[in-house]
Amino acid sequence: MKTITILSGKGGVGKSSITASLSILLAKKYKIVAVDCDVDAPNLGLLFGIKKFNNIEKVSTNYKAFANKKIDKCKNIDLVNICAFHAISLKGNIPVINKLLCEGCGACKLLCSEGIELKKVKNAEVGETKTRYGFYIVSGQLKIGESGSGNVVEVVKERARNIAKKINADFIVVDSSAGIGCPVIASIRDSDYVVAITEPTPSALSDLKRVLKVVEHFKIPYGIVINKFDINKRFAKKIENFAMKHKITIIGKLPYDKSFVEALVNLEPVVVYNKKFEKLFLDILNNVNYYLK
Amino acid sequence: MKIAITGGKGGTGKSTIATALSYKLSKTKKVLLLDLDVDCPNDDLILGVKTKKVKDVEIMIPKFDYKKCVKCGLCSKVCREHAIVFVKGNFPFVIQEQCIGCKACKIACPRNAITEAKQKIGEIFIGKKGNITLIGGKMKPGIEESSLVVNAVKKFSEQYKNYDYVIVDTAAGTHCPVISALIDCNMVFAVTEPTPLGHHDLELILKLTKKLKIKTRIILNRSNIANKKIIENLARRYKSKIIAEIPYSKEIEKCYAEGKPIEHTSINQIIEVIR
Repeated sequence: MKTITILSGKGGVGKSSITASLSILLAKKYKIVAVDCDVDAPNLGLLFGIKKFNNIEKVSTNYKAFANKKIDKCKNIDLVNICAFHAISLKGNIPVINKLLCEGCGACKLLCSEGIELKKVKNAEVGETKTRYGFYIVSGQLKIGESGSGNVVEVVKERARNIAKKINADFIVVDSSAGIGCPVIASIRDSDYVVAITEPTPSALSDLKRVLKVVEHFKIPYGIVINKFDINKRFAKKIENFAMKHKITIIGKLPYDKSFVEALVNLEPVVVYNKKFEKLFLDILNNVNYYLK
Repeated sequence: MKIAITGGKGGTGKSTIATALSYKLSKTKKVLLLDLDVDCPNDDLILGVKTKKVKDVEIMIPKFDYKKCVKCGLCSKVCREHAIVFVKGNFPFVIQEQCIGCKACKIACPRNAITEAKQKIGEIFIGKKGNITLIGGKMKPGIEESSLVVNAVKKFSEQYKNYDYVIVDTAAGTHCPVISALIDCNMVFAVTEPTPLGHHDLELILKLTKKLKIKTRIILNRSNIANKKIIENLARRYKSKIIAEIPYSKEIEKCYAEGKPIEHTSINQIIEVIR
C-alpha cells in the first residue's frame, strides 16, 4: 500500500480538483481510499458530489484550559506572561482565558493547579462515505474556533489507513491543506510520494519552494505539476528552469480551461466532466507510478 | 482602523485584494499592511517591494542542566506536544521541531534543571512602497506552530503607530494562525468566489467571525465565472453583504502574474465601506 500526498503551499492552485481527478483514474485500475486532510476547509468531498458523510465520529485531540471559581487564588501569579499563546488576560485583577487562543499546553495549570482545569475538548468530526465512483473517501472537519488541526489530520489518516487495510487498498490519496504549518506537516508524514501543484505566478512559485523544503525535510520523493501552465508561459518556463536546476521532475502540465471551473460548479471531477483531459491526468499517474517503483 | 482580509478557501484573491486596497488607500492615507500568512507570505511579491529582515522570531526551548537533573521524567510527562523524550534511567532530551515553547517543562521541573534556550522559528520582515509600510512574518519550513509567528509579527508591529489604516492579510483556512490574525480586527472582508468550494469555505469563515463578533463583509472575486446566487443567499443568511464584485479578467490575472497591485473600480467600493 502506497500513500500519495497532493499539496501546494499556496491555496487555490488546484489541489483538490487534481486530487479528485487522479483518484478517479487510479480507482479504475486499483483499490484506493481518498482522504481530505484539509480539515480547516475540507472540499474534496464536494468535488465528488458528496454533501454528507456517514459514520461521523466526534474526536477530541486537544485540551483547553478553563478557569474555575478558585482562579482568584492565583491573582499573584503572572499567568498573563506565562502563556506563550497570549490567551490569558486580566479582567480587573482576575485572569481570564480566551478559549479561542488557548492551545491547551497546560503551563498555566502547573502554576495555578487549584484555579485552572484542563479539559479535553471535542474539536473535530471525522466521517467517511463511499463515492459514486466506487471508492471510499475519509474527511475531517475542525470545529469552528478550535485548534489542533495537525492532530485531527492524524486521526483522519488513521481512519483512512484502517479502511485501506480492510479492503486491501493499493493506494491512499491524500489531499493536504494550503500552507506549510502543522496540518500540512501531518499530511506529509508517512507519505511515499508527494505531488506538488503550482501555477505560473510569482506567489505560487515562492510558496512551492517553501513547501518543498518541508517535503525534503521528511526525505519524501516528489514531482511537480504545473497547473494552468499556459496563462503565463514565460513564467511557466521559469518554473521549469527552477525544476531543472534542482533536478526536480515535472510530472505534468495542465492547461487553463473553462472545463475546470464548469466541472467544479457541476460538482464533478474534470476527468468525468470532460473526457478529453483523461490523458493528461493519466500521464501524471504514469509518472507517479514510475517513481514509486 | 484595523481591517482583515480573509476567506477560508485558498487562492480566492486575499493577497490580491489586500495589496490593491492598501495601494489605493496609500494614495491619500498612511497604510500599515501586515502579511500574517506566515506559512506563505506573498504580499511583497504582489506589491513588488524589496523586504529586509528586521528580527528573528524565537521561542523558548528547554535546555537541560544534567548536573541538576534527577531523571524524574516530570518534564516529559507535562509536555502535551510530546516534545520531550524520557526513558527511565536516562536523561530527558527535546525534539526541537515539536517544541512550542510553552515552558510547561520548566515550570514543572522540581530541581530547576531546565533553563531557557532559544529556537528560531521564523523571521519578521519589513518593506516600504510609498505610503505603505509592509510588515510580515515568514515561518521557518518544518516548524508547525504558525500562530506563534503571527503573534510575534503583531507584537512587533505595535511600535508602528500613526497609521490611518492597518490592513491584515491572513492565511487560508480557519485554524489558529487565522484566528490569531483576526482576533483584534475591527472589520473582516471575506474574499470568495462563486463556486461550491468558495461557498463552503466562506460559510466556515462567517461562522468563525460570528463567534469572534467581528462585522464581516463579502468581496466576490471572479464574480462572473459562475452563478453568484449561492453566495448572495449565504450572505443573507449570515446578515452579511456582498460589497464588491470583481469579474474575472485576463488583465487582472496578468497584473497578478507580473507582481503588480491591481486597479479596478471595485476597490473604490471597498473603500466606501471603511471610510
